[in-house]
Amino acid sequence: MISCRTSKDRMIESLYGELGPTDKERFDEHLRSCPICASEYSVLGATLRVMDRRERPDPGPAFWDGYWDRLSRRKVWEEAGEAPRTSLVARLVRALSGIPRWSYQAAGAAALLLVGILIGSRVVAPPAPVSTATRGAMESGAVVQAQNYIERSKILLLGLVNYDAAKEDAYAFDLGGKKTVSRELAAEAPAIRGALNARGQKRLRDLVSDLEVIMMQIANLGSGQDVEGVELIKQGVDRRGIFLKIDLDRMGRDARGTVDPASSSGESKLPKKNKI
Amino acid sequence: MDERSLIEGMARGDRAAFRDFVEQYKKKVYYLALDMVGNAVDAEDISQEVFLKVFRSFSTFRKGAKLSSWLYRVTYNASIDHLRRKKFVPEPVGDEVLESRSRDDNAGLPYGGAVDPALAAESSQLQARIARALEKVSPQEKAVFLLRHYDDLMLKDIASSLGLSIGSVKSYLFRAVRKLQKELGGSPLISGVEASHD
Repeated sequence: MISCRTSKDRMIESLYGELGPTDKERFDEHLRSCPICASEYSVLGATLRVMDRRERPDPGPAFWDGYWDRLSRRKVWEEAGEAPRTSLVARLVRALSGIPRWSYQAAGAAALLLVGILIGSRVVAPPAPVSTATRGAMESGAVVQAQNYIERSKILLLGLVNYDAAKEDAYAFDLGGKKTVSRELAAEAPAIRGALNARGQKRLRDLVSDLEVIMMQIANLGSGQDVEGVELIKQGVDRRGIFLKIDLDRMGRDARGTVDPASSSGESKLPKKNKI
Repeated sequence: MDERSLIEGMARGDRAAFRDFVEQYKKKVYYLALDMVGNAVDAEDISQEVFLKVFRSFSTFRKGAKLSSWLYRVTYNASIDHLRRKKFVPEPVGDEVLESRSRDDNAGLPYGGAVDPALAAESSQLQARIARALEKVSPQEKAVFLLRHYDDLMLKDIASSLGLSIGSVKSYLFRAVRKLQKELGGSPLISGVEASHD
């Protein structure tokens, strides 16, 4: 006869049919003589039967049919992204391996000297007044950065507003990827807004602000495809007149003759519903 | 394609063998990841990561080992890494949220519209309770339970998949079932039988 402790050790194996015939016989014999172990065994068995009724959500045939294609695409992207990085590191290691030790020491000393001069010039010398030309350059740098931000956000938003859940493959839509990009864009926005502090940049700053809010909404969409969330964002984009503001900003820039970061990448596509 | 042919093909870097391998195991890998991380988008991401990792590091696959065991281990590790990266702390989820989640899940079922509302509500509540019970189980216990209960892996195969001793697997499994029992204690299917025998 086995003890209650041994019986407890064997409950799981017995429940899953993994006890050998002799052990099973001894185990059953113990249960017949021990109502407490028998009761515990019965409760555990009932728990497993409840767990049998668990349903796992099936993502549907479209998901499974497109699985291989999505995996293949990712493989291609990752291979394309990794190859240059690996070869660059390999090249650097190879290049450094042939240099004698004294040259590292000399380079180190020169770098230290340079750092010393830089620190000295910052601490001892009074800050030079920012000239009008420098300020102008800083401002135009901020504007170019903002325009770049707007173009990247626009591309993401076009993908979102042109998506039709009823007609297109939900998984090819790649909401996960869009969420990642929008998270990055939302994180970049405060610095860009902060740099747009000159007079006459309020409209641009407001547009970046609007886009930042939308990017945060996209980044916080729910798991799965969250069709309802996407629809709400589309309505928000529409309500705020985001594409109109972007187009107005672009027209203003064209009139002023400012460099357009998107002009080299070809004409951008209007959302389907805005096409005339 | 049988396992041996798959292994030989993949060792040669044969794309067709890799595709067969993916087709054969995609559901198991996806569902294990989904059960571990609880998010469909992340589960797909993890499952793809697993297949690409297997494809790239196939040369490290030990000859004579079981392909599925290796795959489960890679999936389990990828899921745990994901949870760590996200510093995942399971949030207590209320009944109403779980029930609505369960309703949403059922909405996509082919017979969704034809089910008796009372039965659907009951099933929805049960699914919510099961989901909440599983959230109380640790990742290790959960992985062992899922592999034994839903993937029908023998205890020794789970031990080899997760790199654990059989004793640890039994212990994790027992603890998982006890925790589930405690959480599901009010279920009409379980209640009525008391068990407190240590």
